[in-house]
Amino acid sequence: MSVFLRRIKPSRVLLSTFCQTLFSSSSPSSWTKVVSEAEKIVGYPTSFMSLRCLLSDELSNIALQVRKLVGTKHPLISTARGFVNDTRNNLQMRGLVVLLMSKAAGPSKTAEPPLEGDLVSGIYSSQRNLAEITELIHTAFLVHRGIVNIMELTSSHGSLKDMQFGNKMAVLSGDFLLANACTSLAQLQNTKVVEIISSAIGDLVQGIYYENSKTGEDNMTDDVMIADWEEQTFLSHGALLAKSCESAMELAKHDAEVQEMAFQYGKHMSLAHKLNSDLQPFVEEAFNDSVPFSLNSAPVVLHRELLGRDTWINQFKEAKINGEQIDYVKLHRIIKAGKGVSSSLDLCHYHGNQALEALRCFPTSEATSALKNIVYAVTKF
Amino acid sequence: MALPLSRYCARSSLSACGRWGLERGRGSAGGGGGGGGVSASLKELHLYRRTYLNSTIYKKQNSFCSFWRTPSRFMYTTRTKYCYTKVHSDEQYKDPYRLSQKELNNLYQEIRRQLAVSSADLKEICDYYFDGKGKAFRPMIVVLVAKACNLHQSKNRELLKSQHSVGMIAEMIHTASLVHDDVIDGSDTRRGKTTVNKIWGERKAILAGDFVLSAASVALARLGNNTVVSILSQVIEDLVRGEFMQLGSKENENERFVHYLEKTFKKTASLIANSCKAVSILGNCGPDVQEIAYQYGRNIGIAFQLVDDVLDFTACANQLGKPAAADLKLGLATGPVLFACQKFPELHAMIMRRFSSDGDVDRAWQYVLQSNGVQQTCYLAQQYCQEAIRQISMLHPSPERDALIHLTEIVLTRDK
Repeated sequence: MSVFLRRIKPSRVLLSTFCQTLFSSSSPSSWTKVVSEAEKIVGYPTSFMSLRCLLSDELSNIALQVRKLVGTKHPLISTARGFVNDTRNNLQMRGLVVLLMSKAAGPSKTAEPPLEGDLVSGIYSSQRNLAEITELIHTAFLVHRGIVNIMELTSSHGSLKDMQFGNKMAVLSGDFLLANACTSLAQLQNTKVVEIISSAIGDLVQGIYYENSKTGEDNMTDDVMIADWEEQTFLSHGALLAKSCESAMELAKHDAEVQEMAFQYGKHMSLAHKLNSDLQPFVEEAFNDSVPFSLNSAPVVLHRELLGRDTWINQFKEAKINGEQIDYVKLHRIIKAGKGVSSSLDLCHYHGNQALEALRCFPTSEATSALKNIVYAVTKF
Repeated sequence: MALPLSRYCARSSLSACGRWGLERGRGSAGGGGGGGGVSASLKELHLYRRTYLNSTIYKKQNSFCSFWRTPSRFMYTTRTKYCYTKVHSDEQYKDPYRLSQKELNNLYQEIRRQLAVSSADLKEICDYYFDGKGKAFRPMIVVLVAKACNLHQSKNRELLKSQHSVGMIAEMIHTASLVHDDVIDGSDTRRGKTTVNKIWGERKAILAGDFVLSAASVALARLGNNTVVSILSQVIEDLVRGEFMQLGSKENENERFVHYLEKTFKKTASLIANSCKAVSILGNCGPDVQEIAYQYGRNIGIAFQLVDDVLDFTACANQLGKPAAADLKLGLATGPVLFACQKFPELHAMIMRRFSSDGDVDRAWQYVLQSNGVQQTCYLAQQYCQEAIRQISMLHPSPERDALIHLTEIVLTRDK
């Protein structure tokens, strides 16, 4: 018993380590409602990663090690803290959507021979495993993208040794989650699904690379197109969910058309959601400095595209204090005055409608309406 | 005094190996579904008993110092013992590098094609290690085992396209793990080049490793064989678990040796063993041949790593492409140290504190060189090679099979 307890305890620390707020920006009341209703529909939500994984010696070991990092400035710790302090937000959103999609589609009527295996709350066990894999991959990347570059460290980051140790833990724990995703994926015994999900991991990496290459002001004078933004945002924020939805259909032996619709839902819902969170700093009543916005967020990108390169460069110069540091308050005002914000709202609604459109091939059911409600929640301002 | 001590040591550590072998056998039977688990472990026990006997005889020789310098002579005697048929006298024909050259010519080009991306940075990092200058040691074993298995099975040596892909996938998984290892260890150089993390930073290095892994996984899925997918996914898990095992060490000496060998299997041999098994499956071989391929890969893989651990003590820095005593500096106690610990119990405390006190690394280094830890580790590597030879010799004779036998010698005599 005591042994068991000792193993559980670090896992709880771990739970907090690996979780981060997902979909944190939508209006809380309707969002929470939508999600809690959706969770009832799928019977039970994805267990947070498999118990097998949580209780493994490897993860318990890491959890103990991670405790040493408390008090340092490694991002791994803020990832953990984000979870502890933020209980209203829901975890495992991606897994939930995969489960809802599975239930909305139901068993395939055209599959020959009919699929074996029992449905629990209208969902195959392979689909539940897939939902879990999706969460594992997502979490692994939350951890891996929090790795710090040792060369860029300044004295404000604290001891070099702590940062190196934090990196080591982040690499190992992310790798462990990915490795578990790999073996679970193989157990689905469907090479097409293995291929789709593996390619989603590649997409995710490419998306993060694009995102990283865009930080800083260096490329503020380049031509940007919202089409590129959409493509790159799909890679970093939509590919995993879209491809997981597609795979869930493949696991139930649905035909190519249904798979495509599931993919489209995942893609457009993710884009609508990203637009929603990018818009938050511009739709909230009072803008204060503590809510910064990214120079690569959709409203800024659309603002630049609509304005044209030359006008933008002038505006950008104006928004700098002594031509050096960016005055975000001023820049915020400039963007709000332009057409970037309203165009982003339009784009958000466009993707929301595309997502709803994709749902039309699914029969009316609780699960289908829950998927619709998710779209309504991310397109509501 | 020194003699009985070292005799005792040889026994205790090798009996540890025997027990470890038993566990491993069970593990492979469970994981791979092959029926040969129990018999394999019995074989191993036998092997280690023989190792023990041999080692005591060997201890009585006065000239043991010279044997590490001339391991090839040692190997020749064992080879004649295990090589059932002598097919070729032409040495060149048995050269594993030459025999697999044709198949491996375009390997790196194909890997780079597999990794085609539009992000310039990511592409540059991916191309960095797949520059065609690697040894391609794993793909070579995979190709040779595949052809040897094919001939055994169907009298046709022709390499299947899917088997060639496994070679490529093995190299990709290996490289991805190297990139991650370098970040974990904070290494500056690898294969004589600056590491990815030192040029592009840790975050990009890790993500690039993930990317290579995902590309390998896509290629793997495209083979369309669920069993092969499962086997190679197991490798990825083993690699990570091996890395975890490296974080901790055991208090008890025997346990520590078992821990070390298991870590060695997971970090190095699992990839080779399972890739060999995968190509035998793709060549439609039955469970018995699959087990031969697996065991050959497992044994030569462990031998390869043992020699690698020895080279950390014996090779000078520029030969290896990385600084010597790197393992000690990382706090890792490898074979030579574990053996040396039996003659110099002072090492025990240093192992437990992972050589973290001032002067630990230098003192441990001295102890290892003063003991016969290096020789004993080499000897163990030879035992694994003999077992690899014994396994692969069960296949029908072929130039590839002989090349694989010859390869064990290359593994033992390499100096970088």
